[in-house]
Amino acid sequence: MKVINLFTSSILVTLLMLTIPIMMTSTTLYTNKLYPQYVKTTTSYAFMISLIPMMMFLYSGQDTMISNWHWITIQTMKLSLSFKLDYFSMIFVPVALFVTWSIMEFSMWYMHSDPYINRFFKYLLLFLITMMILVTANNMFQLFIGWEGVGIMSFLLIGWWYGRTDANTAALQAILYNRIGDVGFILAMAWFLANLNTWDLQQIFMTNHKNLSIPLTGLLLAATGKSAQFGLHPWLPSAMEGPTPVSALLHSSTMVVAGVFLLIRFHPLMEHNKTMQTITLCLGAITTLFTAICALTQNDIKKIIAFSTSSQLGLMIVTIGINQPYLAFLHICTHAFFKAMLFMCSGSIIHSLNDEQDVRKMGGLFKALPFTTTSLIVGSLALTGMPFLTGFYSKDLIIETANTSYTNAWALLMTLVATSMTAAYSTRILFFALLGQPRFNPTITINESNPLLINSIKRLLFGSIFAGFLISYNITPTTTPQVTMPHYLKTMALTVTVLGFILALELNLTTQNLKFKYPSNLFKFSNMLGYFPTTIHRLMPKANLLMSQKSASTLLDMIWLEKILPKSVSHFQVKSSIIITSQKGLIKLYFLSFMLTLALSLLMLNFHE
Amino acid sequence: MLKIIMPTMMLIPLTWLSKHNMIWINTTAYSMLISLISLMYLNQLPDNNLNLSPLFFVDSLSTPLLMLTTWLLPLMLMASQHHLSKETLTRKKLYITMLVTLQLLLIMTFTATELIMFYILFEATLMPTLIIITRWGNQTERLNAGLYFLFYTLVGSLPLLIALLWLQNNLGTLNLLVIQYWAQPLPNSWSNMLLWLACMMAFMVKMPLYGLHLWLPKAHVEAPIAGSMVLAAVLLKLGGYGMMRITVLLNPLTNHMAYPFMMLSLWGMIMTSSICLRQTDLKSLIAYSSVSHMALVIMAVLIQSPWSYAGATALMVAHGLTSSLLFCLANSNYERIHSRTMILARGLQMLLPLMATWWLLASLTNLALPPTINLVGELFVVMSSFSWSNITIILMGVNITITALYSLYMLITTQRGKLTHHIKNIKPSFTRENSLMVLHLLPLLLLSLNPKIILGPIY
Repeated sequence: MKVINLFTSSILVTLLMLTIPIMMTSTTLYTNKLYPQYVKTTTSYAFMISLIPMMMFLYSGQDTMISNWHWITIQTMKLSLSFKLDYFSMIFVPVALFVTWSIMEFSMWYMHSDPYINRFFKYLLLFLITMMILVTANNMFQLFIGWEGVGIMSFLLIGWWYGRTDANTAALQAILYNRIGDVGFILAMAWFLANLNTWDLQQIFMTNHKNLSIPLTGLLLAATGKSAQFGLHPWLPSAMEGPTPVSALLHSSTMVVAGVFLLIRFHPLMEHNKTMQTITLCLGAITTLFTAICALTQNDIKKIIAFSTSSQLGLMIVTIGINQPYLAFLHICTHAFFKAMLFMCSGSIIHSLNDEQDVRKMGGLFKALPFTTTSLIVGSLALTGMPFLTGFYSKDLIIETANTSYTNAWALLMTLVATSMTAAYSTRILFFALLGQPRFNPTITINESNPLLINSIKRLLFGSIFAGFLISYNITPTTTPQVTMPHYLKTMALTVTVLGFILALELNLTTQNLKFKYPSNLFKFSNMLGYFPTTIHRLMPKANLLMSQKSASTLLDMIWLEKILPKSVSHFQVKSSIIITSQKGLIKLYFLSFMLTLALSLLMLNFHE
Repeated sequence: MLKIIMPTMMLIPLTWLSKHNMIWINTTAYSMLISLISLMYLNQLPDNNLNLSPLFFVDSLSTPLLMLTTWLLPLMLMASQHHLSKETLTRKKLYITMLVTLQLLLIMTFTATELIMFYILFEATLMPTLIIITRWGNQTERLNAGLYFLFYTLVGSLPLLIALLWLQNNLGTLNLLVIQYWAQPLPNSWSNMLLWLACMMAFMVKMPLYGLHLWLPKAHVEAPIAGSMVLAAVLLKLGGYGMMRITVLLNPLTNHMAYPFMMLSLWGMIMTSSICLRQTDLKSLIAYSSVSHMALVIMAVLIQSPWSYAGATALMVAHGLTSSLLFCLANSNYERIHSRTMILARGLQMLLPLMATWWLLASLTNLALPPTINLVGELFVVMSSFSWSNITIILMGVNITITALYSLYMLITTQRGKLTHHIKNIKPSFTRENSLMVLHLLPLLLLSLNPKIILGPIY
């Protein structure tokens, strides 16, 4: 029994520890210069402590549920604060804490000149707490608290430089797309309440309801919004307006995988619903291909990495679509390491080049920034799934499983093309930023020797190399792995990746000095992000705002409703009072009638007798 | 009940006998103490309501609203200090007297046992409100606003008087505690439909229902700050409260009659939220957002399920505090910029960082961030409407999205962006203002910890 107590108490210590710096904001510590250091250290301690329950979980493999503080009971439904400590949360909590720890250290370097750096750290920590709530929640309401919390924190962090219009627009855009997803979440909550009368995850999974299409659609919509799947994807590249640590933490490794995480949480419902699986698969495949295409021609280094995040998220959704939630989860964990590192490397480059984000204006950084570029190469290779780096352990497995399953061949083909493109755009970053001659301003002083920067990237670098091996070696296999397969299926992932590398390298070399006579349509499609923002972000808001101005506000409220009730009432009152009243101002007529009556009465009086 | 009514009455002599530098402090402190008394009624017995006297009673539906009313008076007094600083002493005292009278009437309205007494008090609240709007409003349009306010409400509620008299004649009583056991089912006939309409229209206008809402933006915009606060926070809730009380009498006719009104509310909440997107006037935006939120309450009351009643009650209290807070914030802007136009107050986060925090929290509660009681209310309403008809989720979803949009649009326009030159020499925010915002937010946060106490009679 003692083992269990250590398990729950240490995870609670981990969670409670994170709230201490938030509570400290009312003390003088918050005004102190050391606050960022304090927050970072707290996070690192939380990570260390969270390793204890993770190890215990790996050892014993038992799910636990902590249920405390009864919040409210409505009718027959009980809501209480409860934490679900199962495979997913136990593995993800240390991963998220580790990544956050590194990113916080990185932010101490990246944001050191910001006057509100303490507030920035508080926001990062608040975000981390809401993410922890999301991951460990055991009922849908608590999950929703975390779900909305990460959305709002992302709004605040994207809009960190609030003086800039772009940052504000991007923040609003993120909230809008997330909110559309939230409607799906609320739909699912409403359905579960109406039909199953519970929000507790165990109880939901226990009930065998025949037709789960409606709540699953809701959950898929929610995941689409949060994880930037096709249709609701444009907010993710726009979110790059935020500071780079924010992009590294929220928009690559933690918040954006919340949608995938939600689908993984609810996979017991999904695994028997073939229709939803097919929809999920197709959605993921479209996303991964489309965003990979968009990434190919971007010039902003952060945008390329953002689109690659989107593409990887699509891959995770594909994995859920082929009914492999555990693989998708593995990919979430491995992806966190190298994607966060890629963003940090790009942050280091951007900072060194005096806020230059355009890859065309970089070049030759291999000599100037040896450490950063080494990490960038390792990260890119891990992302493309080079054998025995972190990405390999999840990505290769996903492609293999998709190859050997009875899946939609069309979706599989799209995923493979996207995999190949991953290599292509990674090459493009490396080619333009690292190789060739420097194309940046010579007066720039490049410096990457700050220990805060080096240590944080180094930590994630080790993660990018070893984490995949460690995680996949230590966890028990949850689904039966495919033991044998033809060698062409086994090597397919690797082949397409290498193909992508070679093709991109050749293309880059041949076309480096050539100019387009006219931009090709394919290039335009990719560079304009599939014309998606230009149409959707222009036409729909315009129609909507025009409708609200013209019909809702002016036509209905200011004209018709005003006319039908108050104006018409007063109008009829005035009219009828005019008709009824005897006074019309016709003096001549009055006098004439007066005279006539007088004359008539005199006359009648005269002839009376 | 006298425990609350008598002290509230004694606020009037306190006002008139206070020294000129003490009138605000005395009244605020005293009314705050009164609001603490009302917290006692939170301790409701599980099955029965507290019959305090033949005339007054409180149950778990009226207690939250009673608390809200008493809580709001000190806040109104705190908020109006700057607005009245140029007035003479007598006028200040008169103004406070008006607010106190309004509070007195509202307390009695929410606790009245007899429906007819409820009706009389309901009408009586119009008078102090009308005086506050038309005497202390800022522009000439206040007269027109007062006219709209008075006539919409009066025309809506006069049929209710006739209906109540008829009901008294037929049932023999209008005691709220008795009629829930005594009410006869209303068969479906033309005259009964008219009766239903007569009973509901008064409250629909007060809520207000979309289409009958024109008085609300006008009154809100033109009223002085305390008027806007009490209108948004309490007077609108009279409508919801009345509807929930009177629907007992109107079953089962409500099942048929509710359809057009539910359609109107569903349609209207989207319409009014989209109007919010195009508002340039800060107060008008908040007023329209009230209409949109109240449409949810109308939906919930008309669905008449336990969950929807719980949602409606929670949403009324939550919206009361939130909209009042938003009006206070808008007013603190107005006192500095001297204009309600949003575009003239940009980038205020730079100058007033603490105020920006209040703005942020207010916007977040307005868009129903979990786990605030706003979300509890909205979620329950969405759920009950979903189980009533699945399609409504589409309209509800659109409304949820637009609500988030305009709340954050308001936040971004006023707080974010670059500072304009003409507001660089504005006053810093006063402790009075900051504590005013905190006193709005504190109950919101505390109630989120235990929403059970505001979920109404059948949670």
